Amino acid sequence: MTADTPKPAAADAVASAATRARNELARLVSYIVFGVAAVYCAWRASSLPTSRWEPLGAGSFPKLVFSVLAALCLFAAIKSVIDIHRNGGMPEAVYAFGRWLKIRRISFAIYGLLVVYLGVLSTLGFSLATFGFLLIAQLLIAGVTRRTVIQSVIAALVFSFGLNMLFADVFNVFLPRGVLIAF
Amino acid sequence: MLDAFFQGAHQVFAFDTLIYMLIGSVAGIVAAAIPGFTVTMAIILTLPLTFAMEPLQGISVMLSVYVGGYTGGLISAALLGIPGTPSSVATTFDAFPMARNGEPGRALSLGVWASFFGTIISTLVLIVAAPPLAVVAVRLGPWEYFSLIVFALTIVASLVGNSLIRGLIAGVIGLGLATIGPDPMMGRPRLTFDMDLLAPGLPFLVVLIGIFAISQLLDEVEIHGKKVNHALIPKSIDFKTWEVMREVLMRPVNLIRSSLVGVVIGALPGAGGSIANLLAYDQAKRSSKTPEKFGQGIADGVVASEAGNSATAGGGLIPLISLGIPGSAVDAILMASLMVHGISVGPRLILDHADLVYGMFIALTVASFMMLVVCVASMRLFLRVTDIPKQFIVPTVMICCVIGAFALNNRMGDLYLLGAIGLVGYILKCLDYPLAPLVLGVILGPIAETNLRRALMSDGDWTVFFTRPISALFLAAAVLSVILSIRSIWKAHKKGNGNKDALV
Repeated sequence: MTADTPKPAAADAVASAATRARNELARLVSYIVFGVAAVYCAWRASSLPTSRWEPLGAGSFPKLVFSVLAALCLFAAIKSVIDIHRNGGMPEAVYAFGRWLKIRRISFAIYGLLVVYLGVLSTLGFSLATFGFLLIAQLLIAGVTRRTVIQSVIAALVFSFGLNMLFADVFNVFLPRGVLIAF
Repeated sequence: MLDAFFQGAHQVFAFDTLIYMLIGSVAGIVAAAIPGFTVTMAIILTLPLTFAMEPLQGISVMLSVYVGGYTGGLISAALLGIPGTPSSVATTFDAFPMARNGEPGRALSLGVWASFFGTIISTLVLIVAAPPLAVVAVRLGPWEYFSLIVFALTIVASLVGNSLIRGLIAGVIGLGLATIGPDPMMGRPRLTFDMDLLAPGLPFLVVLIGIFAISQLLDEVEIHGKKVNHALIPKSIDFKTWEVMREVLMRPVNLIRSSLVGVVIGALPGAGGSIANLLAYDQAKRSSKTPEKFGQGIADGVVASEAGNSATAGGGLIPLISLGIPGSAVDAILMASLMVHGISVGPRLILDHADLVYGMFIALTVASFMMLVVCVASMRLFLRVTDIPKQFIVPTVMICCVIGAFALNNRMGDLYLLGAIGLVGYILKCLDYPLAPLVLGVILGPIAETNLRRALMSDGDWTVFFTRPISALFLAAAVLSVILSIRSIWKAHKKGNGNKDALV
């Protein structure tokens, strides 16, 4: 049993190589996505009509930029593949992605909440939508206890209705009023 | 010239401007004292509040947030060992051990005085250097400008972050994002994919807020579980203000050297306070007779790191005022705040709006005095800021970002862009892409394109970039910055202590 257990240093080295391979895999995906998007944008830019008044038209600069981006992504992707092989080959992509998401679950939950908030902002109005966003976000981060609920409700009230009043009355900046409820 | 100076002074010394600056100074210190809350974010949040102000009044408030922010990072760096901002990393090396050795008040006072003198020295250099540089810059043609922007982007990519290639990719993505919307010469729509949302292009302040602030806030939520030992903040602190002032002034060589390092680093595009902070500390250690004492709580370490990062405030304004090129994200926001008021920032700024530029010099000096007074008078109160839980800070600041993005054009579409760009910024941050080159790419993109097209308007001959001496010099410097960056990465690899994935 003990003979089969890897030594701590060796285990750490294996773990760090696996982590590097996982990080590199995520970056490789990003290089591919950016590279493909760059090729597509360069193609779209090249279809823009040329100018009569100058040698470079509206499409020349974007074509140049996206071509450079595609070349950089290609170089980075090749280097990335080499690094992944050096660090023990391709890790299980689904497992790696699942782990990546799990570590960042609260961040993504807050982001999801932000998307919903931005979506309902024009309908509910700044004060009401912000109150809901702040309350849920604070409880997501701090956890739900009697104390955190009371604190969060107070903070949400101050920074939603209070902030709206501050901007409108002091700075003359008018935030979305909402369609359903005009707060 | 004297008229312009007095006009600028008249506006800065107006009672309401001074009050707003005082509030800005306090806000900057408080914001930067919160770990994870950067100076950039504090300035972003200030921006919408300045829309209703006069241009000089607005920029004076932002400069006071800027100066206050560079000092505020010192508080958590010295007392908790956590840099309040990335530009106070080296401050933790000696200020924190000094605080742990029973001298937290001395550590804070040393940092405050060093920051004050650093800002003043950098302002003096700014006053001397910016006007003559602007006179030269006015004579630069589109060839030189385009090459200068190429140089700026390569140097940003090579100085910021852990990987040169990811820095370059980020910079080029920024240039690519800037091409969305109407082209800067003829107004022809490009890459809008028939979406109304993209038709006016991406407002760079929305990109800036999304990329820096939203990504940073989402990142903060993940590390919120790490508990900080708040017991490190002692109940009573003796600041020894005047004694420490003499102590700082007794180190003139260190103070001036560190400030000049800060000015030079600040003037380089992309190399902001975080690099100046580390480099000034490194230089102080190298030239010290007792380098072994660095890291154990030596006063020279605190003075060097804080004078270094604060001096970037003046240094960063040199390329902004004289060339119209922002040296850092913060300078980009300052530039944006002027553009919102319809002021074109470039080499002609000092010729066309001399009162504004002289006003900025005066505001920077006033802001550093305000920071000093505020810190000396109420440092004890600011210490409580580090106790505010992130559950309140993160969502509230996120709301402030939403307000900032909306107030710019009163357009809901900008908020949808903010959400999308925020997610992209967060993913890029997770994948260790440096974000500063991307934002600078968005800002410099239209300037680069306009100058490139002007340069080639007559005959389309690309060799002209290499035959004009100043243009060739900038392009050679760009290539050199990439080569030097690759060389330093290679050396680090050979020593075995480099970042394994530094190149890619």
